[in-house]
Amino acid sequence: MSDAPSHAPEKSILPSWVKGPQDFIGGIALMAIAAFALWASSDLQGMHGFSFGAGTAPRMFGVLLLALGAGVTVVGVLTEGPRLAVYAWRGPLFVSLAILCFALCIRPMGMVFSAMASFLIAALGTAETQWKETIIVGACLTAFCALLFPYALGLPLQMWPTFLIR
Amino acid sequence: MGDLFSNLGLGFSTVFQFVQWAPPFLGGLSIPLPINILLCLIGALVGTLVGVLPGIGTIATVAMLLPITFGLPPVGALIMLAGIYYGAQYGGSTTSILVNIPGEAGSVVTALDGFQMAKQGRAGPALAIAAIGSFFAGCVATVLIAVLGAPLTKLALAFGPAEYFSLMVLGLIFAVVLAKGSVLKAIAMIVFGLLLSMVGSDIETGASRMSFNIPELADGLGFATVAMGLFGFAEIIRNLDAGGEEDRDLVQQKVTGLMPTKKDLKDSAPAILRGTVLGSILGILPGGGAVIASFAAYTLEKKLSRNPERFGRGAIEGVAAPESANNAAAQTSFIPLLTLGIPPNAVMALMVGAMTIHGIVPGPQVMQKQPELVWGMIASMWIGNLMLLVINLPLVGIWVRLLRVPYRLMFPSIVVFCSIGIYSVNNAPMDVVLAGVFGLLGYWLIKHDFEPAPLLLGMVLGPLMEENLRRALLISRGDATVFFTRPLSASLMAISAFLLVLALLPALRKKRDEVFVESES
Repeated sequence: MSDAPSHAPEKSILPSWVKGPQDFIGGIALMAIAAFALWASSDLQGMHGFSFGAGTAPRMFGVLLLALGAGVTVVGVLTEGPRLAVYAWRGPLFVSLAILCFALCIRPMGMVFSAMASFLIAALGTAETQWKETIIVGACLTAFCALLFPYALGLPLQMWPTFLIR
Repeated sequence: MGDLFSNLGLGFSTVFQFVQWAPPFLGGLSIPLPINILLCLIGALVGTLVGVLPGIGTIATVAMLLPITFGLPPVGALIMLAGIYYGAQYGGSTTSILVNIPGEAGSVVTALDGFQMAKQGRAGPALAIAAIGSFFAGCVATVLIAVLGAPLTKLALAFGPAEYFSLMVLGLIFAVVLAKGSVLKAIAMIVFGLLLSMVGSDIETGASRMSFNIPELADGLGFATVAMGLFGFAEIIRNLDAGGEEDRDLVQQKVTGLMPTKKDLKDSAPAILRGTVLGSILGILPGGGAVIASFAAYTLEKKLSRNPERFGRGAIEGVAAPESANNAAAQTSFIPLLTLGIPPNAVMALMVGAMTIHGIVPGPQVMQKQPELVWGMIASMWIGNLMLLVINLPLVGIWVRLLRVPYRLMFPSIVVFCSIGIYSVNNAPMDVVLAGVFGLLGYWLIKHDFEPAPLLLGMVLGPLMEENLRRALLISRGDATVFFTRPLSASLMAISAFLLVLALLPALRKKRDEVFVESES
């Protein structure tokens, strides 16, 4: 949410008549999403008689979002607003990788492995990580989850890799 | 009146229900367990535990803990979730009094005076007043829900599809007007949410919409998935780039002397009363809820005070009023959910998600068909509040220790916990990936100053709105004026239009922003 410092490089990309880059880009992105939704629902049936087809409501909301996105863009052009925020890459990247790793590993490798692996990958997301404590906490958390989900909550989760229990 | 007592009686008997528990290791011996009370207690405790963690808001807490309630019977699950909700809120205020970064938006104002009090060595009384105020507000709100529940349900049963649609429009407009930031952007977020809710198969024709032949999307985007992505993952990523270890101004001295003095009690009693009234009203309004209630209560106290300069320097009223208001609002926001089936804010939207997973369609029918569910929940609210008061004050020491857990250890744990939670909903790895995508989307939204809460609200209301719109138009034979010719629907629409115009008027907009900004200056 914090505004970018004045030397933000993104500033130069946009023409000078854009006074609020944050809203400008935000509005354009919303319009793109709306256009995508309109395209995706274009093959659905529309109104027949008084009754709605499957595609009526999605198209209605799509058009509405398109208009609102345009509105936000116009506001971005006309009114003084915050610059584009600076995105960090480290946090988002490693958190996403951790999530992805979990999703890929959970079926073949079971929960214990996936939880530990994604804990360690997520920990890469900050430079402050100290590996010794991270490994200890990760192991404790994995053990806790291995007890909580299957036993206390009764959810059927596979614990160990498939090739071990077969 | 008689109805009221018999209803509450039913509620309390549901809460105090005993279940025979016969674990195999006891060898056939069975122990009677007050299962619902235990769930309420666990919910309140776990909610506080997570809510205390700095940087994790109420919505994120509830979203994160949703999956642990899925295995329970519906009544127990909802009681536990309600407990988690109050717990999270209470935890948030503890954080904001003891550390200067509040755990959730609703307690930003509490931090102003609460933290000052803590610095002056009066953390104990501040925490105690927050708890007492919340408890008082909770009691009043519980009675209010019980009183208003039945008549509002009767009203709701008279609603046709046109009225329902108009009511939802009104609710969404309220959500926009009472939200922080740009009105236009909040509306855009609602519509985005509505659009997202269209993904999946159409209720009437069964046609697959915008699902690109991905089997996991055929049923629509999972509600828990989106909520955890937008609030759980997105908040983690956002906190990470703020540099998780930003100066956490933790109060160092030991919290001693919990009891407030007589003078404290005398000073805060009227503030608690006013906060409760204001919070109860704002909570019932769709779109209202804890955040706006605490801001408004703080502003009111400051305006009414004979010496407003004390505010921001550790005035006990500045803690008492917003804390009572946000707890009152948190509870009265159950009223529209339980009676009309319309969630007034994002946390209630999560409750709808939970109810749907248990096969309950929220609405007036629930109160008639499953009275023990509704009244059990209402009764559990009061018990939950009592528990919070009893548990939390002695446990303050533990919460303080939790506040010292460094973020570098906390966030990977949350990532893993959320991933397992999402996976366990449907045993679908794809859901975890989707939640990750929504996490990135949420991060982008935050960066562009779009609020994710209205999006979630739109997503929950989407299917309901579409259904009622379709039915209303079918009944009126395609005549769209039906929304403006039926008196009840027309008045709801008129109020919505009026509110929207008001919100866009520059004079009022300034006033609205003032309420939010005041606390920051």
